[in-house]
Amino acid sequence: MARNNDVRRRVAALVVLAGLATAGAAHAQPDPVEIMNRVQDLYRGESSHGEITMEIVTEHWSRSITMEMWSYGEDYTLARILAPAREEGTATLRADDDIWNYLPRVDRTIKVPASMMGGSWMGSHFTNDDLVQESRLVDDYDVEITFDGERDGMRVWEITLTPKPEAAVVWGRVEYTVRQADVLPVSVLYYDEDGEVARSMEFQEFERIGGRTMPRLMNMRPADKPEERTTMRYDDLEYDVGIDESFFSLRTLQSRRR
Amino acid sequence: MSESPWSRIGWRNVGRHPRRTILTALGLAVGYGAVVFIIGWANGFVAEMVENATGLMSGQIEIHDAEYRPERSIYDTLGGRDGVDFAALMDHIAEDERTVGVAPRVFAAGLVSSGEATTAGQLMGIDPARETGVTRFLEGLTEGRLPEPGRNEMAIGSEMARQLEVGLGDELVVVAPGADGSMGNDLYSVSGIYTTGLIELDATNAVLPLTDLQALVTLDPARIHEIVVATTDPFLADEAAADLAASLGADDLGMEVVSWAELNPTILEFSALMDSFYLIIYVFVFGIAIFGVANTMLMATYERRREIAVMLAMGAVPGAIVKSILYEAAAMGLLSLVIGVAISLPPMLWWYAAPADLSWLYGEMTLQGVLLRPVMRVTLDPASWAGAAVALFATALLAALYPAWRASRVPPADTLSGI
Repeated sequence: MARNNDVRRRVAALVVLAGLATAGAAHAQPDPVEIMNRVQDLYRGESSHGEITMEIVTEHWSRSITMEMWSYGEDYTLARILAPAREEGTATLRADDDIWNYLPRVDRTIKVPASMMGGSWMGSHFTNDDLVQESRLVDDYDVEITFDGERDGMRVWEITLTPKPEAAVVWGRVEYTVRQADVLPVSVLYYDEDGEVARSMEFQEFERIGGRTMPRLMNMRPADKPEERTTMRYDDLEYDVGIDESFFSLRTLQSRRR
Repeated sequence: MSESPWSRIGWRNVGRHPRRTILTALGLAVGYGAVVFIIGWANGFVAEMVENATGLMSGQIEIHDAEYRPERSIYDTLGGRDGVDFAALMDHIAEDERTVGVAPRVFAAGLVSSGEATTAGQLMGIDPARETGVTRFLEGLTEGRLPEPGRNEMAIGSEMARQLEVGLGDELVVVAPGADGSMGNDLYSVSGIYTTGLIELDATNAVLPLTDLQALVTLDPARIHEIVVATTDPFLADEAAADLAASLGADDLGMEVVSWAELNPTILEFSALMDSFYLIIYVFVFGIAIFGVANTMLMATYERRREIAVMLAMGAVPGAIVKSILYEAAAMGLLSLVIGVAISLPPMLWWYAAPADLSWLYGEMTLQGVLLRPVMRVTLDPASWAGAAVALFATALLAALYPAWRASRVPPADTLSGI
């Protein structure tokens, strides 16, 4: 299954590259939606399971959280804290548009209200919205290739996402930079509604993980506090682990061990 | 002055037509009363607004870390990371005789949840005994009691209770990001439910004992965000704030001491707007009165033109005629003032003692985020009474100027010959 998926990915890459190859003659652009779908699917197979270390550095404190994470399709994610010990077992479940947090200390689950979706996720520079919205950028934004050429010695596409008129999104514009050779993301700039950069994400350490080449590190920095950052590192990731949506239940969320 | 024949003549002329004089004086007196009442009401309204704005929750003076406003970050505690001996600061503040209460506060933002329902809450850590001596928002405690330290209790606004569908004794889960980056979370029981009347406050505000909230968000016991101070009169807050800042050495400690006028400038602007509005009231009320007085004076002098002609024929200079008529106007003004004070001050004092209850007309209402009680009260403001008295005299004298000038120009020979 894993192998099958990887083959599918490669075929998709070939299709994109072929599109690019013929672009010169026909002035046909590679399909930006296809590129975005590829980028989005990077950390997800049909399902995935992995371990992530999140390092958060703020002006006032810095801390490191290790989490076990599961995902299924576009709409389901479950993350459970393994360390530090004080917060072990604290877990987040995202199912469709909803997010629940499980608090082992008080053995209660609370649903994050809509008004708090823009709030920080586990104290990081990622928001609850990031968990929900990141998965369906193509649905909420119009996608366009705005640059096609060489940057920093690398052929890249710059893909600009502008919100569709009726989409309820937080960003005024999002710019992905994707390298053409393997259709992997390099960086993302998030613009606010005034057209100012609000935060930036960089992808680093391109390695083979779980049978795929992908960036091991994601580094998020808020623009107004350049000394702050959240770094998410994939310690381990495997795809198509044989779970389905039934796994992503409040019951799983509340079980202290998996 | 009374030795001058002109002032005697002026004074006597007031009594010449008692009924006419009284009617004219009543016009001025009613004008005086109207001004005194309108300004008293308007001042009462402003005072009500300022007291409600500051007395409900914000206090008249707030003391923060200099960095605290406007972001109100959880990290910007008084005295920075090490905190401060806030008990000593509060003792010092309480010594100032303009202060009537002082209380410490800790703030945190968090999620308050019960069952399926969750809402964003502004968590406020208070010292219940001190807080109720400074602000009134907890007076609206309709059920239960204030939370006690160390018992995992909290009191919440009634709208929050409605949204979360909880009552007294029910359990709440609170999650709040701590000052060390951890996710503070704990269970609390609802010890009390309060209604301030401001719906957004009732929907988001929740109070916990100070030490309990500090523990939840991992703040050391010496770290608080705010000291709130009540003054005897809101309009003393500015100078009291400046004096406290100096005596506490606020600058050296990296603290700011700010009054409500600085925290809530729209209310201050509203108060200033009302002040400028008073001038318009003076102009309108006495502007109407001036024509009535002028008419009377014109008639009175016309009727006496033969008498004036005799005085002029016997050697009185025109200026003396003008003088006598202005004296007459001043005497009229004095009479009006006596009547005006007599008809306006007793009802003012009565009204002051027993403000009219307008709840039959409208319930509590909010204006610019300030909750107003349905009462119409007046303030006793001697400065406005004196101002109205000056305006009354000015009106009487101005109204007499033209009649006096006309009288001084009476041609003696023609007038006496009956032409």
